[in-house]
Amino acid sequence: MSVLARSVGSAFRNKVRTAAVVAVLAVAIGLALAMLVANQAVGAKVQELNASVGTVLTVNPAGGQGFEGGGEPLTSEQAATAAAVPNVSSVVGTSSLRLRNAAEAAAQAASGTQAGPGGGQGGPAGQNATTLTTSLTAAIDAGTLGGRNQAANGTTGTTTAQPVHSLPITATGIGGEVDSTGKALTITAGTGLGDYTAESANALLGTTLAEKNNLTIGSTFTINDQTFTVAGLFDSGTTFGNNALYLTLPTAQTVAELPGELSSMIVTVDSMENLEAAKAALESALGTDKADVTQGQNLESAVSSLGSVKNISFIAFVAALGTAGLIILLIMVMLVRERRREIGVLKAIGAPNRTIGLQFVLEALVLVAMGSAVGAAVASFASGGIASALISTNTTTTAATTTGRGAAMAGAAGGAGMPGGGAGFPGGAGLPSGNPLGGASQLLTSVTASASPGVIAAGIAAVFGVAIIGALVPALLTARIRPIEVLRGE
Amino acid sequence: MIEVKNLVRTFNSGDRTIKPVNDVSFVLEQGTLASIVGKSGSGKSTLLSLLGALDKPTSGDVFVNGVSLAGMPDGKLTEYRRRDIGFVFQQFNLIPNLSAMDNVMLPMEFAGVHRTERRQRATDLLEQVQLDPEKQVRRINRLSGGEQQRVAIARALANEPKLILADEPTGNLDEQTGDHIIELLSSLSRDHNTTILVVTHDKALANKTDRRFRLQQGRLTEEPARALV
Repeated sequence: MSVLARSVGSAFRNKVRTAAVVAVLAVAIGLALAMLVANQAVGAKVQELNASVGTVLTVNPAGGQGFEGGGEPLTSEQAATAAAVPNVSSVVGTSSLRLRNAAEAAAQAASGTQAGPGGGQGGPAGQNATTLTTSLTAAIDAGTLGGRNQAANGTTGTTTAQPVHSLPITATGIGGEVDSTGKALTITAGTGLGDYTAESANALLGTTLAEKNNLTIGSTFTINDQTFTVAGLFDSGTTFGNNALYLTLPTAQTVAELPGELSSMIVTVDSMENLEAAKAALESALGTDKADVTQGQNLESAVSSLGSVKNISFIAFVAALGTAGLIILLIMVMLVRERRREIGVLKAIGAPNRTIGLQFVLEALVLVAMGSAVGAAVASFASGGIASALISTNTTTTAATTTGRGAAMAGAAGGAGMPGGGAGFPGGAGLPSGNPLGGASQLLTSVTASASPGVIAAGIAAVFGVAIIGALVPALLTARIRPIEVLRGE
Repeated sequence: MIEVKNLVRTFNSGDRTIKPVNDVSFVLEQGTLASIVGKSGSGKSTLLSLLGALDKPTSGDVFVNGVSLAGMPDGKLTEYRRRDIGFVFQQFNLIPNLSAMDNVMLPMEFAGVHRTERRQRATDLLEQVQLDPEKQVRRINRLSGGEQQRVAIARALANEPKLILADEPTGNLDEQTGDHIIELLSSLSRDHNTTILVVTHDKALANKTDRRFRLQQGRLTEEPARALV
């Protein structure tokens, strides 16, 4: 019988006690694993926030937001100025175009129901998106809110009954394949835009828009009678967001006959820590009378809350791990004391200290293995709930302060600032009408704490590490037992 | 050869100092079957512990083939017990959750004997001590006292030691099995040149040994070569 077999046998010598020990260990190990899972999930979320939208600033023309309107469009020179600001890692200019179905626009013109004032069509004032005609048909119905917005006179936002208008299609000229929040576009078919020159006739279409118009990769459509080829399809994650298309920035400027003009700039800062400083520097460099620089709503406090949850979960993980180790230590000390005579006999018949110590360590690991199996099952069920409880407890304040501001904002992903659809009025630049991080509370509560095998394995490895340390102490105690002391009882 | 020189072992009990082994000296040639008789508490088991390197003497020394046990580090003493000594304890001291077979194989495992060989040797030894085959795989706590005694003897023989120290090896056995064990020990001594020192109250057993010692108040005296009465 090997040492391992003897250890397994010894672990089951007293079944009732073994069951009790395993139960206690399972609670401690389960808690440790659940905390580790929560810690990893929150950590991943913080990383995601920091890596994507967390470091993005949006620059719009001053006064271009809300109902006020006015101001001058941004220029390529301002983009160069923004790029030179310290801690700015990239500046992506955008040019927003509003596309109307050519046939519908002609019909409306003929009937004299032109929708809204030019230059700010279909929405509150402050739009600087240029309206062009296209062969495309919008993928979604305007709905009640869309009808009001498209019919509003741009001044009062009247809500009286209006003829039904279709939603315009947003075309955005971009200087890099990122969406309006600075996140990389999710290309689901085809390729990117590729050539970023004025000669480029490539376009990326939202999936729903392409489907509505029966377009696939390589299909063509027109904007102001200029033919474009569908180079790729993207999925923004929302229906309204997918009723859009992207062109290269030079092409959009050319089509709109507005060379050098930008609707907005997406400025990526090198780190969250430098966000505030970069925002202030941008405002200073561009001038607050020329440009509005906005950032995610109180993201710092949101990330800070998640950071607290991460810290708490890590401390709880360590504490639960320590508890498991302490349980093992105490149990093994008890077992060593209880089996002093057996240890003495083993030594009397020539067992080396290391063999006896190894037997007790392995016996402890058998108990830990059983506790880990039960604990992992507990953690897989409980980790989600524990993470949610931790997050909701620690972010109540943050969520409360952000909900009000975020309610009218579009989500962080696609769809932000798209006309109609109830997601707020079109922004001053046809881009997100406000912060790209609408609803920080949603971000906080969207942490998914799933017990991945990797995390569970890492946690169990840590548990085994602690268990070995916990079992080594009593195992070393066995070396101090002299056989004659325990056999003298005879 | 075992040579014991002026061996003393003292214990302190409150204000008193007890000397269960007091200036004991003797020599046992290899292959000798010897016995020690004495009243309970006369120090017989203490002397066995000193010879088996389970305990350290207060003074004096034990030499095994010329090597002093007193100067040996713990690791070497463990090796000495594993390789050269076979113990038969009065209370058997078997591992309760292991089978008879596993108990006998245990010293061989510590000595690094291959699994197949130790199983075969354990089977042979258990047959020699007349333990039924079906009882060889039973757990110790499901065997009678006599059966456990036989397993303890088989375990002591496992590594073919040069010296067997047996504390009342026939104490729990019926007369027939006791006689068989005595015959087994005699043949080991005779045929395998094994030195065997038996502590016993059993005069019949003592009379079958080559040399007989009596321990009284810690002092060892050798009895003449005639039957003990």
